[in-house]
Amino acid sequence: MTFRVLDPTPGTAPPVGQLAPRLDTLKGKKVGFISNGKEGTKGFFRHLEQILKDDYGVAEVVFRTKSNYSAPADPHIADEIKTWDAVVSGLGD
Amino acid sequence: MQFQSRSYEAESISAVQELYHSNGWTDGLPIVPPTEEAVKECLDWAMMPPDQLIGIEPVRGLAITAEKIAINAVMAGCLPMHFPVVLTAWTAMMQEEFLMHGATASTGGCAVLVVLNGPIRLEIGAAGSFNALGNSDRATAVIGRAVRLCLINLMDVRPGVIDRSTLGHPGKFSYCLAEDEEGTDWDPLHVVRGVERAASAVTVMAAGAPRQLMNEWTTKPEEILETFAAEMRANMRHYSIHPGNYAIVIPQQLREHLQAAKWTKKDIANFIHERARIHRREWADVGKGAVVRDRGDSVYTAMESPDQLLVIAAGGPAGGFGAVIPPWLGNKSHAVTVPVGVCVDCEPPKK
Repeated sequence: MTFRVLDPTPGTAPPVGQLAPRLDTLKGKKVGFISNGKEGTKGFFRHLEQILKDDYGVAEVVFRTKSNYSAPADPHIADEIKTWDAVVSGLGD
Repeated sequence: MQFQSRSYEAESISAVQELYHSNGWTDGLPIVPPTEEAVKECLDWAMMPPDQLIGIEPVRGLAITAEKIAINAVMAGCLPMHFPVVLTAWTAMMQEEFLMHGATASTGGCAVLVVLNGPIRLEIGAAGSFNALGNSDRATAVIGRAVRLCLINLMDVRPGVIDRSTLGHPGKFSYCLAEDEEGTDWDPLHVVRGVERAASAVTVMAAGAPRQLMNEWTTKPEEILETFAAEMRANMRHYSIHPGNYAIVIPQQLREHLQAAKWTKKDIANFIHERARIHRREWADVGKGAVVRDRGDSVYTAMESPDQLLVIAAGGPAGGFGAVIPPWLGNKSHAVTVPVGVCVDCEPPKK
């Protein structure tokens, strides 16, 4: 007996965001970190801040933390991203 | 009826199984072949065209259509009469406060608890008595499974893909129960949560595994409920201290003592809210002293308010066994109740 059956998946990839154009250099730039608020982000991001400043000449690092670590960034954080040259969004698990 | 989905031919029932397993479209168990005829029967039952938009998942922007939910419902073993319940569960899960993406992707490994209320339980044969949290009946088994298959196939909630659960729990195969409304004089859950009594409704909650308890040695409401509160305190110590929606399942043997003493669900929730609370310093007793810090005297309640407790009457007639079902993680996700057959986005535009 032959069965004709249907695909249970959407069949198309979900919409994806586009990466911003890459920076030529990090020197003198303002970089934002968006933390999900978990314990592990604190030490990791502080260490990364040091590397970006010491080794890459980043001028300023801004730290922001989401109000819910399982949800997208809060609207006020998303708005603030426009004032940064680059953004790092990281997990803390 | 015109379907958007790609179709495949398989020469035998075994070939169907291998097609679906090899593509990662199952939960590891055999599926019912989702033929065009079977899917059409589901859609006809709900009087929906295949391209009916059920909702758009808020985080990844995926459009969910009736056709895709019907395909997965058939695979789970649903009959057409089960399909509206699956649709309603999905409508509820796509409400922003449920936080579907977070709840289904989290390392915390919760499942979607689906609670059925109202006349539809009886129409589809959903039982809230013996083995209520297990394989109690066909309807709850397949509805709970359909919710999971939809997550797998529509949202990519596959282990190691979107689903990052460390452990998960068995409720991720199917986690659906019906309230035993005929076995209690309490208001059903949907009425407590603001839905008309005559309506049928589905409540979804991002839920951990049930924690079973037992107290067969008292008839006093306070003592019975203290056992439930103690289990919640244990969860707060061992798992998460943060307040959120908890559910408690109270079986008939324990309900009879509470009802004889004229305790309502509201009385129960008020009592539990007072008793299910701990000091942060108690974390030090269970190996979590490192995060007590200077807040040891802070008191944490299991729920922010009594109405966050979902009190459910269910379970076989004998045995003083109850269950506490904890939230995935505090208030990250909120339980959502939606009446069956009601459009949640159909209000006229506000001026």
